[in-house]
Parts: sequence; C-alpha cells; structure tokens
Amino acid sequence: WKKEEFRNCNQTPFCKRARSRKPQHCKLIATDVIIGDGDLTAKLITPKEFQENPDEDSSGIASNPLILSLSVYENGILRMKIDEDASRNPPKKRFEVPDVILPEFESKKLWLQRYTKQVIDGDSADSFVVYLFDGYEAVLRSDPLEVFVREQSSGKRVLSFNSHGLFDFEQLRVKKEGDDWEERFRSHTDSRPYGPQSISFDMSFYGADFVYGIPEHATSLSLKPTKGPGIEESEPYRLFNLDVFEYLHESPFGLYGSIPFMLSHGRTRGTSGFFWLNAAEMQIDVLGSGWDAESSIMLPSDQNRIDTLWMSEAGIVDTFFFIGPKPKDVVKQYASVTGTSAMPQLFATGYHQCRWNYRDEEDVKNVDSKFDEYDIPYDVLWLDIEHTDGKRYFTWDKALFPNPEEMQKDLASRGRRMVTIVDPHIKRDENYHIHKEASKNGYYVKDASGKDYDGWCWPGSSSYIDMVNPDIRSWWADKFAYTQYVGSTPSLYIWNDMNEPSVFNGPERYGTVWTGDNTATWEQLRVSVPMILTLGLTGITFSGADVGGFFGNPDSELLVRWYQVAAYMPFFRGHAHHDTKRREPWLFGEHNTKLMRDAIRVRYTLLPYFYTLFREANVSGVPVTRPMWMEFPDDEATFNNDEAFMVGNGLLVQGVYTEHAKDVTVYLPKDHTWYDLRSGTAYKGGKTQKIEAADAIPVFQRSGTIIPRKDRFRRSTVQMENDPYTLVIAVDSSGEAEGELYIDDGKSYEFNKGAYIHRRFVFSNGTLTSVNLAAGTQFLSDCTIERIILLGHLSKPKSARIEPSNHAAEVELGPLQIQSKIRSSVLTIRKPNVRVSDDWTIKLL
Amino acid sequence: ENLLGVAPQDEEYYKGLSSSGTIICKDGSKTFTTTQLNDDFCDCSDGTDEPGTSACPSGKFYCRNAGHTPLSIFSSRVNDGICDCCDGSDEYNGKIKCKNTCWEAGKVARDRLTKKIATFKEGVIIRKHEVEQAKILAAKDEAELSRLKNEENILKGLVQQLKERKEQIEKAQEKERIQKEKEEKQKKEAEEATVKEQKGEEIVNVQEQEYKESKSDDDARIHNHPPSGQDPNKGAADPGVSLAHDDDDDDDDKDASVHNIEEHAEKNEESSKVAHEHDPSHGSGSKEEDASENAESSSREELGRAIGSRWTGKKAEQWQDEDAGTARNNDDNEYDETSDTAHEEEDSGYDTETEEDHQHHEEDDNEDQMDDVGGDEADDDSSEHKYESDDEMEDMEGTSPSWLEKIQQTVRDFLQAVNPFQTPVDTSESESVRKEYDDASGKLSKIQSRISSLTKKLGHDFGPEKEFYSLYGRCFEIKENKYVYKVCPFKEASQLEGHSTTHLGHWDKFEESYRIMLFSTGDKCWNGPYRSLTVRLRCGSKVEVSDIDEPSRCEARNW
Repeated sequence: WKKEEFRNCNQTPFCKRARSRKPQHCKLIATDVIIGDGDLTAKLITPKEFQENPDEDSSGIASNPLILSLSVYENGILRMKIDEDASRNPPKKRFEVPDVILPEFESKKLWLQRYTKQVIDGDSADSFVVYLFDGYEAVLRSDPLEVFVREQSSGKRVLSFNSHGLFDFEQLRVKKEGDDWEERFRSHTDSRPYGPQSISFDMSFYGADFVYGIPEHATSLSLKPTKGPGIEESEPYRLFNLDVFEYLHESPFGLYGSIPFMLSHGRTRGTSGFFWLNAAEMQIDVLGSGWDAESSIMLPSDQNRIDTLWMSEAGIVDTFFFIGPKPKDVVKQYASVTGTSAMPQLFATGYHQCRWNYRDEEDVKNVDSKFDEYDIPYDVLWLDIEHTDGKRYFTWDKALFPNPEEMQKDLASRGRRMVTIVDPHIKRDENYHIHKEASKNGYYVKDASGKDYDGWCWPGSSSYIDMVNPDIRSWWADKFAYTQYVGSTPSLYIWNDMNEPSVFNGPERYGTVWTGDNTATWEQLRVSVPMILTLGLTGITFSGADVGGFFGNPDSELLVRWYQVAAYMPFFRGHAHHDTKRREPWLFGEHNTKLMRDAIRVRYTLLPYFYTLFREANVSGVPVTRPMWMEFPDDEATFNNDEAFMVGNGLLVQGVYTEHAKDVTVYLPKDHTWYDLRSGTAYKGGKTQKIEAADAIPVFQRSGTIIPRKDRFRRSTVQMENDPYTLVIAVDSSGEAEGELYIDDGKSYEFNKGAYIHRRFVFSNGTLTSVNLAAGTQFLSDCTIERIILLGHLSKPKSARIEPSNHAAEVELGPLQIQSKIRSSVLTIRKPNVRVSDDWTIKLL
Repeated sequence: ENLLGVAPQDEEYYKGLSSSGTIICKDGSKTFTTTQLNDDFCDCSDGTDEPGTSACPSGKFYCRNAGHTPLSIFSSRVNDGICDCCDGSDEYNGKIKCKNTCWEAGKVARDRLTKKIATFKEGVIIRKHEVEQAKILAAKDEAELSRLKNEENILKGLVQQLKERKEQIEKAQEKERIQKEKEEKQKKEAEEATVKEQKGEEIVNVQEQEYKESKSDDDARIHNHPPSGQDPNKGAADPGVSLAHDDDDDDDDKDASVHNIEEHAEKNEESSKVAHEHDPSHGSGSKEEDASENAESSSREELGRAIGSRWTGKKAEQWQDEDAGTARNNDDNEYDETSDTAHEEEDSGYDTETEEDHQHHEEDDNEDQMDDVGGDEADDDSSEHKYESDDEMEDMEGTSPSWLEKIQQTVRDFLQAVNPFQTPVDTSESESVRKEYDDASGKLSKIQSRISSLTKKLGHDFGPEKEFYSLYGRCFEIKENKYVYKVCPFKEASQLEGHSTTHLGHWDKFEESYRIMLFSTGDKCWNGPYRSLTVRLRCGSKVEVSDIDEPSRCEARNW
C-alpha cells in the first residue's frame, strides 16, 4: 500500500470542486414539464437573475438547458435521467454505459399517462406528481429543483435528489484559445479535449439509521460518515477499479470493482436504494448529521435522514430510486435492472484449492492425493500464471506440464476439475500465436497516437485485447475452444484473471468474484465478512476471500479460523502468494488438520442448502449470505452488526476474529430460538450469548426453518450425487417450520428448460409435507431422505407414518452431527427413505 | 451376518450379534442389532454398524484384495463410482463395474519388493565397505594431524630463531641508514626551504578531495546494503534434494517424509515470525521504494516493472530475460565477503560495479544458450565431483622428515655464519636470512591451516560408524529444468542457474537418526524466512542425488 500513488480527493479536481460547494449552489429550475413517450420530461434552466451573462457565465461556459426525464418501472422503481440537450448540438455525446441494464428491463416500464400539480411548502412554482407503486409517488419540484419519492398517505419523503442544492453538471465545450484543461497526476496526463465534464449531486435517504453498499472497499458493512462535525478527516468512498497491492482494511479507497448502488435501512421506514448508472471515477461522501447546520435549508427532521454527496468525473445522470420497503424488495428491484447472479455449477460451490503456483504435474498429483490421504473433500485445483509457457496464456510450460490432458483426466477420474488462469494482457512476442493474430488484425487497444498500446505486465511488454468490440470479443471467445486451447479438456475451467476494469454492475450474471489480494492477518479475516456481505447486497453474491490471506503466512490458528468462516461464504477457495509457505490443510499437525477438515466437511454437508440458496439468488437477486438486518429488519441490534451473518434465512454464522479465543459472544436476533448446529442446544434470541468456540465457530439454525443436508462424506461433489439427504427441522414456538430444496443436474443449463426439482417442506401439526414448487418438472432423481431430525419438538413420538406408501419409520434419539464428538440426542426419524422427487407426508405418531 | 467390509481381526467382535442379536458400538455410544448391521444407516458414530457402506463418515471398509495386499479404505470411498480396491469390492451397487486387478498389481508390487531387497543388500555391502574405508581414512587423517602438530612445534622454534636473527640484522641496517640520511639531509636543507609554501597548498587540495570521495563512498554503501528482507527472489526456490540411491519410493519412506514436512513447517514459521518483527512493512522492499519514488520520472515500462515487482518480489530489472529462462542473479553478493569489502573500499562506487556485473552475466547467458543447443542430449541429470580443496596443501602432500631436517640444518648454518654486528652489514647474507625466515613462516602457516581444516573435519559427526566419512569433500549435483542443485555434505548446498548462485543453506546437522541431512540459514527469502534444504537419505547402490522437490519458493524440502 503506497498512499502517495493514489489520487486523493484534493488531487482530483472534480472531487475537490464538488466537495467545496455549499448547499443551495444549484440555481436550476424545471420548466416545460410534459408527459411524452410515457415519461415525464422537463428542461432545467438557470433563471436570468442568476446568469451573469445570459449567453455565457463567468467561466465562459455556455449554459444550455439540461433535459430531465422521469420514468416509472414495475415494482417500485423510479428512473431519473439528466443529460445535455441533444437538440442544441453539444460537441460530443456524453458517455452512457452499455450492457449493464437488462434488455428485458424496458418491458417493465409503466407508461405514464398524466401528472397532478401541487404547490409544496409555499413554493412559487408548481410541483409535478406521478404515481409510482403501492402507495408511493414521485415528485418533481420545479423551484427549487428537487426530485423525490414520498409516501402518498403521509407525504413523508423516502429518497430525494438535490434537496440541498448541490447538483452541478459541467457541460461539454469546444476548446478556445487559452483553455487549459489538462490534468496531471504523477506520470499521468489527462488531456480533456472537451473540458471538465463532472457531475455531482446530493441524495438523501429518509428513515435511515444506516447506509450500506457502494463496493468495493475494505471497510465496515454500514458506511461510516466521511464528512461532518465531529468526524475525523476522511476521504470520500472512492469508486475506481484498482488491483491494489496489499490493500488496507478500514479504508475508503477503491478496490477491484465499482458498484454505485447504495442502500439505506432504518427501523421505522425500512429499506430504500439508489443506483447511479455511471462508470466514470466516482467519489461518494456520507455526510454526518449536522453537516448542514449552517445552511438555511429546512428539511423534514421528524425522520432519521442520511445525506450523501455523489461526485463523478463524467457521464450522465442516469439514476434509479428503489422504494423497498423491505430489504429483500430493494435487492429484487435492483436485480430487475442489472440482473441476477448466474446459477453456478454444483462443483463450483465446493472447496477450491489454489496457490501461486502448483509447480508441475507431480506437484498437482501430490496435492491431489493428499486430499484423499487425509479424507478432505475438494472439487477444484487451480493453476496460476506459472503454468504457462512464459506467461503466454493458453499455453503450457512444456517442462513442467508436458501432459496437461492426462493430468486433467486423472483429476477428473476422481471427480475433480482444474482451473487455469487466463489474463487479458498479451505478451508482445512475434512467435506467440495470440499476439500474431491480434496485432495483425488490429485487435489491440490503441494509445493516443493510434498505435497498439504497449504496456507492461507479468509477461513483460504486453498489449490488451479490445474487449469493447463485439467482433473481437467473439474472436477471443473462440480461443477457449478445446480445439484452439491446446491441452484443455472438458474438465478444465478458466480463471478470468485481472479483469478489474470490467467489474462494474452486472458481472454476477457471468461469474464469481474474489475480494482481492488480501493479507494473512486477523483484521483482514474480519473485514472479509462485511466485504462479502456488501458485494452480496449489491448483486454479486458469488464471492469469497482468499482463505488464509494471499500475502504473508498465517499461523495455524488464523488459518483454521479462516477456514471456519470461509466455509460459509459463497465462494470458498484457499489461495496464497508464491513466496508464502505451503499451507494446505494437512501441514499444521493432526489437530489442525482435523479442524480444517471439519470446516470443509460441514460446507459439503450443507451444499444442498447452499445450492438451493444459489438458485434463490439466481431467480430473485436475494444473496446467499446476508446481513442479519436483511432477515430481521425490525431488530435494531442487527443493523450495524457485521461480524455475524446469515446464510439464507436459516443459518446464523458468527466468526472468531481474535487469537486464543475459547469462546465468543454472539447476538441472536429476537423473537426466535436458535439451535447450535453441532450440539442442538437451544438459545433464546434477543440477547447476546457467550458460546464455546475452541474447536469450531458458532453456527445456529433459526427456529421455523428446515435445512437439507447430505451427511455422507465423499471426495468431491461428483460422488455425492446419489447420496441420500438429511432434513433438519427446527420448529418455532407454534411447532411449525418450513424450508426448500432445489436440485438439478448441477452442470448444464437444462434447468432453464424446467429440468429441476424444487420442493417446499412444510412441518405443521406434527406432519411434514413435501410440496412441489416446480410444476411439470423433467428432472429425475433417485435420491431419498435417509434421516429427518427434529429440533424443539415437544412430544416424544415412537414412530412415524409415511403416506402415500403407508409404511412406518422408527423415531429414536440420535446425534445431530454424526461425526461430531459433541454428544447430542435429538429426535430422529430413522430411514423414512422417501424420494426427494415425490409428494409425500410423514406424520409423527 | 453381513460382514461386508469387516477386517478378519475384527470378525470376532461381531460374533455377539449372532448369539445375542445385539452388540455395542466400539465407542460405547449405543447398541445395534443384526438388522442394523450394514443396513446403510449410521447408528454408531464410529461406524461399527456400517463397515460395508458409506453411511458412517468415520468408518473404514476392508478389502481382502486376494493376490495383493489387503486394504482398509475410508467408508467415503464405498460405492462412490471409483474403484479403490484392486478386487473391486468397494463398488457393489451396480453403478460401475470394477475389474479385479489384484494379481497384476500384486505381481508388480512383489517384483518391486524383490528389487528393493536386492538394492538394500547391495547397499548394506557398500555401507560395510564405507565403514571400513572410513576407519582407514580417519586413521590416516588422525595420523597426519598428529604428525603435522609435531612438525608445527619444531617449525615454530626455528621460525622464532630466524626471526630474532633477522631483527638483529635489520637493527644494524637501520642504524646505517639513519647515519647516511643525516649526511644527505644537511646537504639539501637550503633547497627544500624554497618550495615549502607551495607544498602547503597542495595539502589543502588533497584534503578537500578526500572529503568528497568519502561522501560518495557513503552513498554507495547505502545502495549496497539495503535493509533485510529486500533480497527479492531469484526466480528460484528452495528445493528439496534427495541424496539417495536409485530406488523407488516405498511406504516407509512416505511416512518419514510426512514427518519431515511438518517439522519443516514449524521451523519456517518461527523464522518468518522473526522476519516480520524486523520488517513490519513487509513486502515493501527498499528497492521497490526507490522505484516508486522515482515513478514520476520513470517511463511506463519502468513503472510497470516496479509495480509488477510488488507481487512477484522480483526486482524490476530481473524481469527482462525471464522467459528465456535466464533470470539474472541479483547483484548483492550478500555472502561474498570479498565483494562486499571491495564495494566499501573502492571509490568507483556501486553503479559502475553493477553495470559491469550485468554485462558479464549477459555474456555468460548467451554462452550458456549456445552450449545448450549443442550439447543438450549429453547432459547428465546427476553428477558428482570433489570440491576444490580449501587447504592449499598440494605442495605439502609429500612432506617428509627430510624436508624438515634440511631446514633445520640451514638454520643452524646461518646462526653460525652470520655476524650481525659486522658493519657494514653483508647484504647477501641478510637477504638469505630474510628469505629463509619467509619460507619457514610460510610453511608454518600452511601447516597450521592444514591442522585447522583437519581438526574441523575430524570434529564432524560422521555417523555412529563414521559411515558418511567419505562424503566429506565431495559434492553432488542434480539438474532440474533450468536449475542445477549442488549439495556438498558437511559444507553447503546451493542452486545454480547459469552463473548465478542461490545459497540454500550451510551444513547444519543430521536428523532422524542420520536419515536426514539438514542445511539451514541460506539466503533470505523476500518477505519471508531463510532458505533451507533437507536431504533425505535412502539406502541404495550408488551415492547420488536422485530427486529434488521445491514445495514453495522459500522452503526447502527433499525427497
């Protein structure tokens, strides 16, 4: 981490300008308000009395009107765009981000028919009101300019734009004599041929106790204020994609991805969200309460309000207001704009073993065989850049990997896959086929002078494929074909490395993301939790941190604790820098091997649950791992908690982030009973409990849920395919519980054609019922349920009657976890052996 | 009963099922009945009731493997679609058909065992021979040592006598010289007085210059001695080498290897902790800082290298020839004392020195490449040679008493013949005394050096029967890709790449009852511990390095 290499706000002219503006800086008013093409549009102009010169302002900027449009979409989404007036022939069209918004989103637009006029707070001009959704409406206030969403009945604001008058929009210009628009930082120069073109504005979130989101930063889940009275001098949160060497925790500096989507949550109002579709460098201030004390603006103060300042270097205003009001409503609304996460293949949800670098075929064989020797399941072995012939991607180092196909086939014979890395920088070597083709066909990104950009990366002098061009993308895609990628087999998968510049909204539709080159410290283990949760809130649910920390050497205790937490994160991969010591799970003594194996095994037993959650995320956008407040939006004690998290709605995971911890305190949300995952011990919610944590981190199943597991251990997910299920039912205070199970072939897109099993299990009145959620399912499975465990059930039945087969199953006391040393006696239905694909009921007698 | 998966020695345990119908799980957790045995539902958490299925996670499945060795496998392997037992008994649910390969596999194993026994027998003979040889060689070295000590005593006396005589002569000569000077001085006095002022100025100038020089000398030192932790990796790693006989791995060895690994991990952990304490900003070597501070004026390429070097730990200039397999050795000859001294003393400074080094390496690299083209197929993977004798005793090898007697006689002659009080001193006589003194003291120091190296050698632990005696002074090499690993028992181990050397460790000790040679405290890894090397010894018919392994770049492990 080298502070001086990164531009701070003061060194960034657009940020410095925007941050120093005072409230009511904006003099724009809305005129010519009409409804057209289903949108409400208006011109934003500066009234004459604020124009020093009607044609030119003091800085010589022609003040053309701006065009504002409001559109309404299904389920409570307001879209607001502000851009230059195209009819005035601006020198250049400003950049609008392609590819992010789902094509089908437009079909969800609600055609506006009319507006109503209203005078707000004695304004001199009318405001224009349009109906939004479910008791919410959008308001365009003309003078002063403000756009907000409010509750129809109470008139309470939910989200508002420019309430503090900080909106500023620098219009493009034609360069005149004497204009010096160049900006410099260190060795970089930005020529800015059309002058500065930044945009900034204030956004207010009402009824909000906290705001969240805008990854990626290594910081807490709830975003700390960056400016305001009593707040320590801080940079704004920066959104600027960087592969940061040894990044710091607790820093607002931008990391690998940028997602300008913020959520607010408060107990009274609930949740709302705001997304600015803009890919330029952005800086965002969260303003501490009282920041506007000197301003004369009076905003409704009966609600908790959090003000934020958004500053971007370029682009247009293209923003989305999400009204919630529940946390899951907001993420669903957001997902309807940018898409949900891809359904992963089952193996990808297992454990991944990676290192820079597994050296050669013998090394691969040895590491693979050690997993079997220690009976630790894993699914994927990864090869980093050194496997290639001199960092020429799609090639193999012939001395180290002479028989890559045989190697992959050998792994595949035990159900394991291999992942090889491909980077987007291409070695400038005339004998390298990719370079030859790319340079010959002009496929490289060009520099300012029109020549192939010649940069520097791992292979040395390198150029970059122009991925913005669809033809070139398709050429690049062909390189992955088995016939073109020599040495690849169907069990080989790709690590699409160093694609930070392209991580913006929407990558979840295609792949998984890691939290970057972290470090083997307790602080970085700790910060990995809020980082994953934030990514999940903003759409990228399939993410994980390098287990153990990429840089440095974790001691055995840190490594064990890391495995224990990471086993519950969506993407579960061990990885290490090449100068670190080997750290595979069997290298730290028998006891630590056992603890790491236990952690990985628990993950594997829970894969049916995880896979079901991945499907939920794929359908709805609700993430696999969730902040507690997403499940318990009324429990204020959870709003700021980012050391524990939920997996789905059923499991609460509390990590251990300190050395030598024998126990750990965990807050269990109110109105539920919580069952320890290992012992079955019941804990009352609504208070902080101290839980023994010497050998494992505390994990609890919430009362009222049913969780599917597969308790047999195998080498990898492939061998688990036909294994029977265990259902764990934790009943709530009225003796009821429910849960879901989703199954498909785990490898193809056939599920898109209906080839899957989706069941809802409902337990009520002592009867468990399996309900089909997938009408007309075409997927077959012979898998049965071998065991049903009941937690919190009051009576002690001796047997159960299964219908429609009309046979009986014994009910006895058994262990909650079969291999666990912890003694537990829980009510167990022994061998009901019903098929998961069938409808049935099991009644306790 | 259904005793599928039960080992013969455990069959007795299940007898109770047929008599009483119920027995207790081995861990005492509960009881189970005949119908619960192998019914594909786990009743005993230790797996007692499911020896033949995958129902219990901690169970074991026994396969008889008639024709080969019986095997006990994890119950997770039962009916998982993979043939683990050579008799195929672990896959019985019909999803996959496993061939019985026990007879073929058994034959291969038996043949290997036979061959191994033969190798061991051969090895035992060689060992016996080595032990006998060691006795003779050690006796010879001890005899030489005692003889040399005797000679040293005599020679010491002679040298002392010669020294006294020489000093007497020198005293007389000095007296003569002073007298002569006195006369000449009077003669030139007037002449010297005229140039005195001018000379004074010169002295001032010289002083200024010296000041400048010493300043630049300091600068050079700063460059030359970066803080610890900076030495970026040389693209190479600590390897493991196995100084062993060409014999296949066997189960015993595997077990031993596991121990080896664990031990190693702990060691490195300690050393890396130390490293972190010393260098809290780990990962930011001083070289990188230099690079990034200069970044404003750097070209994009230089910048790229500087930034890239953070991930790799390489110095930027090391990138250049990477793909050609000629990653260059760095310029800090950390363990080369003479070179360090040279840097400190010479005013020529660091930069010039570096420049020269670079050119030198490039030329060498080119030569190497050409050599490779011509002579690749002739390369031996493994070789052995003696390291250069460090005792410089070649000319003394044939030392005999007659030589000593001759010297003694000469000295006696001198003492009688030369009269030190004679004036003027006889020049030729005094030269002879001086020469004789130089010769004798030179010989004395050679004898002393030989005594010291012999004492050092004999002080080593060569094993309970001195069986490793003959390895002293020998080196063994193995080539692995672009690296040559060189192991010199009782001395050091290194990794060579072209003309660059990475020091893997000094001889430390034997471990595990003389089954492991440990070389430790080699070059410091970037951002990490010191390199080290473990040599695992195996019995066989040849002394050679048979295999090398490098599990992580800065950790040494050997097979």
